[in-house]
Amino acid sequence: MSALHELSMTEAADAVARGDVTATALVENCLARIAAHDGKVNSVIRLDRDSALEQAAAVDKARKAGKALGPLGGVPMMHKDMYYRAGKVSTCGSKIRRDFVPKVTATVLEKLDASGAIDMGTLNMAEFAQNPTGHNAHFGHCHNPWQHGYCTGGSSSGSGAGIAARFFYGALGSDTGGSIRLPATICGVTGIKGTQTRVSRAGVMPLSFSADNVGPLVQTARDAARFMRIISGHDPRDATSAREAVPDYEAALTGDLRGISVAVPQEYFFDGADDVVVKAFDAALDAMRERGATITRLSCPSLRAIAAYTAMISRAEGAAIHAEWMRERAADYSIHLSSRLYGGYPIPAHLYIEALSRRGPLLRQFCAEAMTRHHIVATPALRTRVPTLAETDIDADAANWSRFMAVSANTRPFNYLGLPTISVPCGFDDRGLPIGLQLAARPFAEARVLAVADAFQRVTDWHKRYPSL
Amino acid sequence: MKPDPIPPSMEAIRLWSGVECPNEAARLGLADHIGLLKELEALRGTLAFEDEPSSFEAALRAEQEKEA
Repeated sequence: MSALHELSMTEAADAVARGDVTATALVENCLARIAAHDGKVNSVIRLDRDSALEQAAAVDKARKAGKALGPLGGVPMMHKDMYYRAGKVSTCGSKIRRDFVPKVTATVLEKLDASGAIDMGTLNMAEFAQNPTGHNAHFGHCHNPWQHGYCTGGSSSGSGAGIAARFFYGALGSDTGGSIRLPATICGVTGIKGTQTRVSRAGVMPLSFSADNVGPLVQTARDAARFMRIISGHDPRDATSAREAVPDYEAALTGDLRGISVAVPQEYFFDGADDVVVKAFDAALDAMRERGATITRLSCPSLRAIAAYTAMISRAEGAAIHAEWMRERAADYSIHLSSRLYGGYPIPAHLYIEALSRRGPLLRQFCAEAMTRHHIVATPALRTRVPTLAETDIDADAANWSRFMAVSANTRPFNYLGLPTISVPCGFDDRGLPIGLQLAARPFAEARVLAVADAFQRVTDWHKRYPSL
Repeated sequence: MKPDPIPPSMEAIRLWSGVECPNEAARLGLADHIGLLKELEALRGTLAFEDEPSSFEAALRAEQEKEA
């Protein structure tokens, strides 16, 4: 068996179920790695050490007694600090909610508890999930484990960095404009957002009612498949959650790409792209082609409208959610957040309504352009090399605004479209930082993106690499 | 030269939302809207959907993969 920290989430769960390793050993190993290395990474906000060891002991006792474990039985996890657990502080990465104690528990946490996963505590994140870089003025910036001083991607910064550092095996992130896929890309791990409405948002801090998504960051597509099956599905506590049946995503992982057609839109996603990113992306397409996929480069004229409307919805909704605090406590926000929220107020109501009302028609148009004959849309997840924390720090220098905003350019359109989208590692840049491949499919075709991502990971080893800390 | 749209925007925000400009970065962020305004201007007249208004959730269900 590999070293404990090298196991993927599914490998760890299966090893516990077989009795090859105890849950206690997994937790102790995670705690030791966090103690040794998180001083540099700063991925953790609250570590529930004693509780984690108690949960692990209960799993080990159950297994010894011959009881069946859940699909994630004994697997240590930590989650972005915006998933409410009744009676526990949920800071949302903010000063304003530093002492906020929710009265409810998020449905996704209840589902993970029922699966046997061990919750070790909460993770650093962008303040109120509102930045794509990993900056946090209140709890300290999260640093990229591959290289100190570089962005982790946000807003699920601690989730991406902690998985990359092999501090735990799975983490919840949230994705409104790329906040799962960006830290996955930039930290070199796997992250998926499902179809809009696929996963319940009950008990989760809101950022944008129309575009928020709950999803996992993990090591492999297989991990993501098991995780998504557990957390997906209709929730009576979230009236917006979809009633579509949730298939067995792991069963769809055949490794076969024969007959799969991949579309690569030529507009928008490559504007200003760095050569090293384009080369890694093209190499990823070659790997899929060798596995049996066909690749077609095509035109998607709808993307310009999609990109424009995407920006408006999340800005307007964020401004509405934070209006009271922006009036009363603006100084308690970091500069970059209050400045972003402020930008939501002048958006005219008619344009916000137009953006919402055209979401369905533009989804139809994009599917017609890109997915009539193709199963998957592929793009680079981030156009540029990973930026440093300094060159995207608006609090330090307002002139960094445009570089900061550019980070999420390639991920945002898929939030407007509501499509299931995954990011998997596909290389490294000339500074040794990860590059990500983004794959999207039609609504509710999570099984499709997971199967293609898994097939890609069977012929590449980018997802197995991790930083020496 | 066109008039600077930022001060009127700040006044409108104060009037409609009661929110003051919190810092210089926020002011620069408003200037960034000019890019968005240009994108929207370029879209005018290019989109004509006969099924507006429409339900996004209905579109999600309708656009599913047929063989999935």
